[in-house]
Amino acid sequence: MTYDTLLRSSGVVSGESDLWCTYAAVRTLSWLGRVGDLPSPETVAGFLASRQNSDGGFAWSAGMSSDAWATYYCTQALADLPAGSRGTVRGSSSAWVWSAAHPDGGFAMTPGQASDVWATYYAVRTLVEIYGERPPQALFDWLATLQAEDGGLAWSPAHAKGGASDVRACYYAVTAWRTATGGEGPLPWDRERLTSWLKGRQSAAGGFTFQEGDDTDCLWATFRATSALSRLDETPRDPEGCVAWILARLGPEGSFTRWPGYPVQDVWAAFCGVGALRELGAELDDIADGVVETVLSFRTAQGGFTYRTPGLASDVLTTSAHLMAGHFSETGEREALRWTESCVLPNENGIMYMPGRGSEVRCTLWALSAGAFEEDAPARTRIAGWLTGTIQNPDGGFGYWEGRASDMVSTAAAAEILHRIGGDSVAGHLRDIAEYVASCETAPGQYANVPGGRSTLRATLQALRAQHRSVGADGALVGEALARHRVRGGGYANEGNRVPDLLSTYEAVLAADAFGLEWDAGHLAKFLDSVRTADAGFAWTPLMATSGGPLADCLGRRLELRLSPERHALPPLTLS
Amino acid sequence: MHTIDQTEISNRVLAVLEKRFGDAARTLAADADLSDALPGFDSLAALEYVTAVEGEFGIEVDFVGDDVRYWFSTLGRTTEYVRDRVEDMAA
Repeated sequence: MTYDTLLRSSGVVSGESDLWCTYAAVRTLSWLGRVGDLPSPETVAGFLASRQNSDGGFAWSAGMSSDAWATYYCTQALADLPAGSRGTVRGSSSAWVWSAAHPDGGFAMTPGQASDVWATYYAVRTLVEIYGERPPQALFDWLATLQAEDGGLAWSPAHAKGGASDVRACYYAVTAWRTATGGEGPLPWDRERLTSWLKGRQSAAGGFTFQEGDDTDCLWATFRATSALSRLDETPRDPEGCVAWILARLGPEGSFTRWPGYPVQDVWAAFCGVGALRELGAELDDIADGVVETVLSFRTAQGGFTYRTPGLASDVLTTSAHLMAGHFSETGEREALRWTESCVLPNENGIMYMPGRGSEVRCTLWALSAGAFEEDAPARTRIAGWLTGTIQNPDGGFGYWEGRASDMVSTAAAAEILHRIGGDSVAGHLRDIAEYVASCETAPGQYANVPGGRSTLRATLQALRAQHRSVGADGALVGEALARHRVRGGGYANEGNRVPDLLSTYEAVLAADAFGLEWDAGHLAKFLDSVRTADAGFAWTPLMATSGGPLADCLGRRLELRLSPERHALPPLTLS
Repeated sequence: MHTIDQTEISNRVLAVLEKRFGDAARTLAADADLSDALPGFDSLAALEYVTAVEGEFGIEVDFVGDDVRYWFSTLGRTTEYVRDRVEDMAA
């Protein structure tokens, strides 16, 4: 695959700052000793602080639930900013992090979810490095169970039994151990087998891949592998070759690109390039100016950063939303789809949210629903293979991306994708999905997003849709859920029956249609009137006067089209 | 039945906002748009605000029928909305 389409970008730009990008930018500047180059660090702090929820944790975006990842990124990036510019946050996140501790010794991304090594790493770093606390002793037993038969480390104990080692899992686990112990005390794994597996991921060209069998070296994998080895007081087999491979990723503007043949210098590549060179003890002075200048050019008006020059920073969700809302001309539509179809990593066959980060189940569903790969059967087969062969967790569910513990949003998205493109060969995988769904049932016919969570309308409808696509489900349960959450004046509420929102109402109509249930068009029209905004968009709730952004506008527009005489079907989307 | 005048309502609504937004709310003008005047007044904060006003005055807001984004966009409008609802309840 070539990535020329990504160089110019014919997708749609949201213009918003992104948390991951902001963390990567601040961390890179910090490693280079150049945080002082930030023109207005207080605006970055303001963006980060705006992600804090009343429970003390932080979320990826306003209105979402707190998670361990966002909490670490925000607290660490705030700590990296100059002391006088950090502003004030609502309070410590420590208690929230502890609320996601799992009885098995690991940590979950959100309370009630299964533990995984991504979440455990973020939780341990937050507790130890930000709050000076000690993680539980059971952590070390949990970490010990991550070693797979091949010597590498896996995402969770269940993944380790299946032999799914990954360089990222090695880095997260080794760093969690090192952070918790300061490198003192016994290593919970067989050192020789672990270091041998890690060193074996380096290719003759000098870079690393994430997993055995991957064929394209990648800067992210190289950063994680060199970091893991460094924390084990080891070096790559060929450190000079590794440094040379990293420096060969420098682009014309003096910053890094992610892998050979990829033309965009993005914020993650800068983060990984600087981070890896630092771990290898290489000289950074010669590259610092180019990296700093490039990274600073990724700032957005919202206060944080995006992944590349803001005017070109398209993303798949925004682009798919525009496509499904019918905002493109025919030519624009073709170009936007071509751009979306190029958002696939060399070693991973799903579609990414932003080019350069991992493939994501939910984004893949949005892109396919918008028309991506409609005339490319081999690509659809590769996506189905990615879902069933790589992403599906041992519990049958799916997480946001590889190695993330299962949640209902991602699991329902995967069920819809497999129903759409999977063919007969995925029947067993769909049955496994039903097992995960069953583990989230809180009361007969009521479901939560994760096994230990609270039931909500959206999680319930997503669960019943996923079952419908796998082993079948009783439409009466959908009817009962809709009756419980129907708001008298119009629309549906995610919790209770008083405050309707656009996303829950979309899910309600979608589920009713999927199960052939009748619904009241006047009731929906009244709700749409209450969220239609003066700027010709749609708000997420009747409380807001301005559009909720491209995703809200897309859902509102599709509900309008569903109400039209043509009764256009709703795309089977999930969002949160 | 105890009746409350407009000033008392306004003070109690302001107290609700001060509890959530502190100093930024203390100097709030009656006609200032809350989403402009109060940092962090997003959709979630707006919902918390409406819910807190409901609790403070023992009223129930109709989120679809009552044009909440208008009535809860400034201190003055919220005060007017609450006064009408309290009077309705007393009638």
